[in-house]
Amino acid sequence: MKPLFDSGLELVVESDFIYFPLLFDPDIEKEIQTVFHSGENTGQSNEPESKTVIKLEEKYFIKGFRLDALVKNYDVIDPYSYQTMKNECFRRYQLMREVDGMIVDGTLRTILFQVMPHFIKKNKGLKRKKLSDEEILDLVGQKIDIPESYFQEAKTFTDIAPLKEILKNIGNQTGTLELPENGLTSGRKLQDWFRSAVHAKVLADEVERITKSLQVRQQFSRIKPEHIATLLYIADAGALEIDGFGFIRKNADRKEYHVYKHSGDYVLKDYYGRNYLFPDCRVAVSTYMPSKPFVMEKYKHPFLLEYKSGQEICLKHFNPTDEMTTQRIIDTLEEGLTALRYGYDHRRRNGYHSLDKLWVHIPTIDFDDYLI
Amino acid sequence: MTEIDLKKELQTDESEKLLPLVLEIIPGHAAEGLIDIYEPGSYAAKSLKKLCDKTLNKKNLSIEEQLIVEDIKRQLDGGKLLSRGQEIEGTALEYAVSEETEAGEKYLFVPIRAIKPQEGGRRHWIDD
Repeated sequence: MKPLFDSGLELVVESDFIYFPLLFDPDIEKEIQTVFHSGENTGQSNEPESKTVIKLEEKYFIKGFRLDALVKNYDVIDPYSYQTMKNECFRRYQLMREVDGMIVDGTLRTILFQVMPHFIKKNKGLKRKKLSDEEILDLVGQKIDIPESYFQEAKTFTDIAPLKEILKNIGNQTGTLELPENGLTSGRKLQDWFRSAVHAKVLADEVERITKSLQVRQQFSRIKPEHIATLLYIADAGALEIDGFGFIRKNADRKEYHVYKHSGDYVLKDYYGRNYLFPDCRVAVSTYMPSKPFVMEKYKHPFLLEYKSGQEICLKHFNPTDEMTTQRIIDTLEEGLTALRYGYDHRRRNGYHSLDKLWVHIPTIDFDDYLI
Repeated sequence: MTEIDLKKELQTDESEKLLPLVLEIIPGHAAEGLIDIYEPGSYAAKSLKKLCDKTLNKKNLSIEEQLIVEDIKRQLDGGKLLSRGQEIEGTALEYAVSEETEAGEKYLFVPIRAIKPQEGGRRHWIDD
């Protein structure tokens, strides 16, 4: 559509249709005269849509297409241009990111406010006290460096007036677009109308999301701006690590996170009492399908079958369930860490592999490089 | 670090026996546990295990502390108390390290973890 709007041509809007100027050509002129004299142009019906050619200020214009149909189907006619206009509209109303959804993401809140407090230092001194959500956000704010831009965004986030205005406008339009006035118009004017019309369509299509955003932002209006900045940062980054505990968003659509805890370095003994220093790794559990704990890094251990990343830790008496609860995530991480750090019995050589080499011809993993 | 090195590091001198002892019993891999303080002279003759039992049977705990104790007891159901990677035996002084408060007061600290065993893995060439 851009070449048409930029062409500088005079266009006509008539009864929802756009009319294009006809080329001056003797043959076309003759044909038009015939059409006008025979009354074919107006047809039997009095409906304006039936006019194929119209004459305005001694110039002829031929019928093109319905403007509202162009707006309605623009996402299919020119997907790239539609997406560009959609993004432009989202930027204008601070709806660019799906941050509202993420900020109220139940899984993220469970990890942040229920699982994380178990694994991080919350109290100074000897007192033991359960922290409120606000105190946890304060603690996160103290332990991580949140870019200044998030504090600015927090201010925009809490300003609900623009969203209210959008919803009011959508409500007033009741699904119909106000078409440009009939008559001669320029490509530039039509382009401005077209942009507004596409924006109105984008917003109308997103009315559910905007309503939800407004509810979320109203709900957060009483929260301190610095807490909103922290939440926006976490929702945006989809990852956080404090005191060796962390999480990473793996799939935003299905709200899947990998929640992990660093094992720290640890020592295991072999059958002969020799010590092996195992390096730190991250023991993790998925919130989407909580099963056995796994090691995120490429890692070797008597309880891991191979030497590669993402391996499940082999556990005894562990019943995996699909249920994702706070206690389930904590227990799974605990079992995984305990197995790695304390589960290997040097006398029994339990596990897939033995730390010391067994004199049997079985391919196994070698731990000699960990010997100290 | 060998076992001998570890023991050397943990040995405390006579003057440190005059310091208060801070005991923290942590359930599993949690970050925080139940804290108890023993005055100088009140712990030297007792085994660390006895001190832990005494701490775990303390009365007048806050709700948060009661939850920690419950968590510790859940871990100890078939589990054990570990300090510095070893099952605790002997006195607190054998596991204590000297630390300082923000105000510069010295104390001896013994972190203990209550760990429920998890014998992961299996010898697949034998079990299969």
